[in-house]
Amino acid sequence: MANDVKTSALRRRTVLRTGLLGSVCAAGLPLLSGCGEISGGEGSVQTLNAELDILPEYVEWPLPTQPDLVGEPPDHPSAYLTYPSPVPKAVPEPHGGSGTYRVYVPNWGPAMAKDDPYYDAMAEAMGGTRIEFVQNDPNAYTEASVQWIKAQEFGDAILLFSWMTGADANFDQTVVNRFANLSEVLAGDISQRWPLLAGRGDAAWAASVWAADPENPAETSGIYGIPWTLNGGPGNGFFYRADLLREAGLEVPTTVEELLEVARAWTDDPAGRWAIGGTDYMSRAWFRLAPGSGWIWDGSAMVHNNERSEFAEWVAFQRQIREEGLVHPSVGTPEFDGKALQRAGQVLLDQDGWARWTDMPAQVAATGENPDFDLDVLGPLTFEGREPMYHGAGGVAGWLFLSNQLEKEQIEEILDVANWCAAPSGTVEAEMITYGIEGEHFERGDDGRPQFTEAGIAAKQDSFAFTAMSGMVQNLLEGPAEMVQRRFDFHASVLPVLVKDQFENARVTAPAGASEAGTVFDEKVNDIISGRAELSSLEDAVAAWKADGGDATRAVYDEVRKTLEGQ
Amino acid sequence: MMLRSSRATSTLEAGSPPGDDVLPGASRPSSSRPRTRRAKAGATAHGAEGVGTIERRRIPLRSRLRRDWPLLLLVLPALLQLAFFFYLPSAFSVIAFMDYSPYRPFWENPIIGFTYFQMLFQDPYFVSALINTLQFAGAQLLFVFPFSIMLALVVHGIMSTVLRSTFQSIVYLPYFFSWVLVVTIFLQVLGQDGLLSRWLVGIGAERLQIMNDPDTFMLLAWMQWTWKDAGWGMIIFLAALAAINPSLYEAAAADGANRWQRLWHITLPGIRPVIVLLLILQLGGILTVGFEQYQLQRQAVGWGTAEVLDTFVYYRTILASNGESIGTAAGLFKGVIGLLLILAANNVAHRLGEQGVYQRS
Repeated sequence: MANDVKTSALRRRTVLRTGLLGSVCAAGLPLLSGCGEISGGEGSVQTLNAELDILPEYVEWPLPTQPDLVGEPPDHPSAYLTYPSPVPKAVPEPHGGSGTYRVYVPNWGPAMAKDDPYYDAMAEAMGGTRIEFVQNDPNAYTEASVQWIKAQEFGDAILLFSWMTGADANFDQTVVNRFANLSEVLAGDISQRWPLLAGRGDAAWAASVWAADPENPAETSGIYGIPWTLNGGPGNGFFYRADLLREAGLEVPTTVEELLEVARAWTDDPAGRWAIGGTDYMSRAWFRLAPGSGWIWDGSAMVHNNERSEFAEWVAFQRQIREEGLVHPSVGTPEFDGKALQRAGQVLLDQDGWARWTDMPAQVAATGENPDFDLDVLGPLTFEGREPMYHGAGGVAGWLFLSNQLEKEQIEEILDVANWCAAPSGTVEAEMITYGIEGEHFERGDDGRPQFTEAGIAAKQDSFAFTAMSGMVQNLLEGPAEMVQRRFDFHASVLPVLVKDQFENARVTAPAGASEAGTVFDEKVNDIISGRAELSSLEDAVAAWKADGGDATRAVYDEVRKTLEGQ
Repeated sequence: MMLRSSRATSTLEAGSPPGDDVLPGASRPSSSRPRTRRAKAGATAHGAEGVGTIERRRIPLRSRLRRDWPLLLLVLPALLQLAFFFYLPSAFSVIAFMDYSPYRPFWENPIIGFTYFQMLFQDPYFVSALINTLQFAGAQLLFVFPFSIMLALVVHGIMSTVLRSTFQSIVYLPYFFSWVLVVTIFLQVLGQDGLLSRWLVGIGAERLQIMNDPDTFMLLAWMQWTWKDAGWGMIIFLAALAAINPSLYEAAAADGANRWQRLWHITLPGIRPVIVLLLILQLGGILTVGFEQYQLQRQAVGWGTAEVLDTFVYYRTILASNGESIGTAAGLFKGVIGLLLILAANNVAHRLGEQGVYQRS
């Protein structure tokens, strides 16, 4: 179980320690004569590294079916090659309930009718509790949710992915003022009533702790969210149409230079084919830029991606692929639909989450539109012969936050549902959550695995609902045997070069102005990449970013580093 | 002669701008003046005064209430709606002067004066957003507003009812499209991978770049405004045109006025009050040029080109710390400028003999 992922490890049975770094942070704003002072703005940090005993006690939840391939969770999840038969139940006797709760979620798939029998079936299976999902357009969800939460207009609970929390510059304050503190019901041994939640482990629960008073974390920390999926392994993939690459007689690229050659050879503008789709977050690792916060301690100083020479190379690369016309023209516009374009063969390579690797081939196979369709993923590309790097995902991917207007009994009832929904792949519960009702939304294939029916594709596939209620007790790879084997092997192959955010165990609120400075910097970089500004203007943009908030943030991260290193 | 004379008399009365009850009476038959004054006096004193006298007597509030209560009851819902949804929220603009946090009781937020306004005006990107906004607003005023009038005149001139209603529907329907739809349609037609670009590539030409060229964004924006909004503006002018008495045109035609003379001496003066009214209102909203149109095309043409005050507020305040206060400060700034412009434009309108958005007291 050795784990050589380069990240600061979370110590077992540790909980949150919050450190206020006001003394080292830049005073937010210059005070102006005749005007009053604006409070806050100093920046603060909360780190997962202390000894508060508010977490649920970890009690292992044994998997009902042992995986066929055993990996090194969480960065190399175990996997099922065969589907269990009969399918076991994770929660044989659900705790009864009679309440109805409204939960806000983003939704990329179809929105099921509110009176669909599926919801009745789920309520019955879970012991009576009914959840009504308010499914929202994901494009507007991130920003809109900031206002909903401040106005306490988010029903009984809301799911926020961790990347969404950056939209609220004072998210730490929002959490402790709007969401329920679950510590009272979760502290200690919860394995009797919520065995799956008890099996989530410390890493997931410790990442769900916030302090009401950052200066007094010992007495004010609490669990404020039900942790969603515990991240691990490679974060995303850069997928390519292997069938089209073979058809064109081209080799799979292993370096940035080879990628450019392949893209030049495959792109055919008059025919409406552009080799490259989205690359912005996947390509950073090719140039050895840091994931997540972008801050690294290089051994002598705290440095951000923005100010590194590798970043200038990355910007030049992004500009080059656009100047050479290798990128689909709609990239960067609301029109760009990488999935559809790659499926149609108009784009050869495109970045996405891991669901694409399993979902798209399954969808193409279901329609029979292209028997030769083959989607694969590129390994870590290198630039100018440097060491390879692959960005790994860490922390929890999000939280289900409950309203602080709920009573204790209501919170417990929602936790009953969360416990039910934490069931891992290969269980009746996970089947109902993902595939719906057997015979209506899915039927079993020859291998016993659920396969969507036409009604399932129309109403259930990709619909985001009960998935939101909790992360699974353990992440396992599941799907068609060949795909599972490929993904399991891929995870193993990138493990040696997987790099995570050095500060994934710190929750940093940037000083006042830093967020705005970052936004302005990104806009300037966007201008350079699009050819609207000269490459040489990057230097000025970096200088402005440092002065407007970058240097102030550096001081915060330097303190975080010292805290994490125990200095 | 008799026929001409009677026509001229009746059209002069009918052609009076609405609400203008004190027209210069040089060419007006003397009998018209007392009639008008009687009407006005009657509104205040039950017509008890003698003909030709204007005597304002103060009526006690109780009497007025007893007399007007059905009317007051009628406007009560509108007043309540205004109070709750306009005036009450407006009162919370005070948070622009507070170190406001939504997480403490409202009265516990300390007053800090003009700090947020100073932050706003000292932000170098605020000025560029303001300049962009004024440019877009100026272009709308110069190139879209007159276009609506021209469109209305064209439609007004169409005699066939079927053709007229069809044209009218086609022109004003885009107003009901959202900006997302408008920008998407433009992308589908004029985008780099749009219909026109594909056709151009087919004949060996270059793809169109207009959707992502910052230098021509003003032209693109104008095309979008015109397509989306000009038709709606036209409807209002058409309503004003319909109010012009047709006998004026008949009389003018009988007097030998040609098409242009009728346009210049009857049509345009007839809709002048509406033009002035809309112009003043548009001036009041000069710093509010919209949000979605610029936000949706920001990535394509760059923030330097598409940053207007509303997008500035969104990125620099709503998505940043202290968002509520500084965002409100920006909103107040826009509101105050708009109010000053309305007052100034209204004053100019009064000086030019127009009614403006409200009558002079």
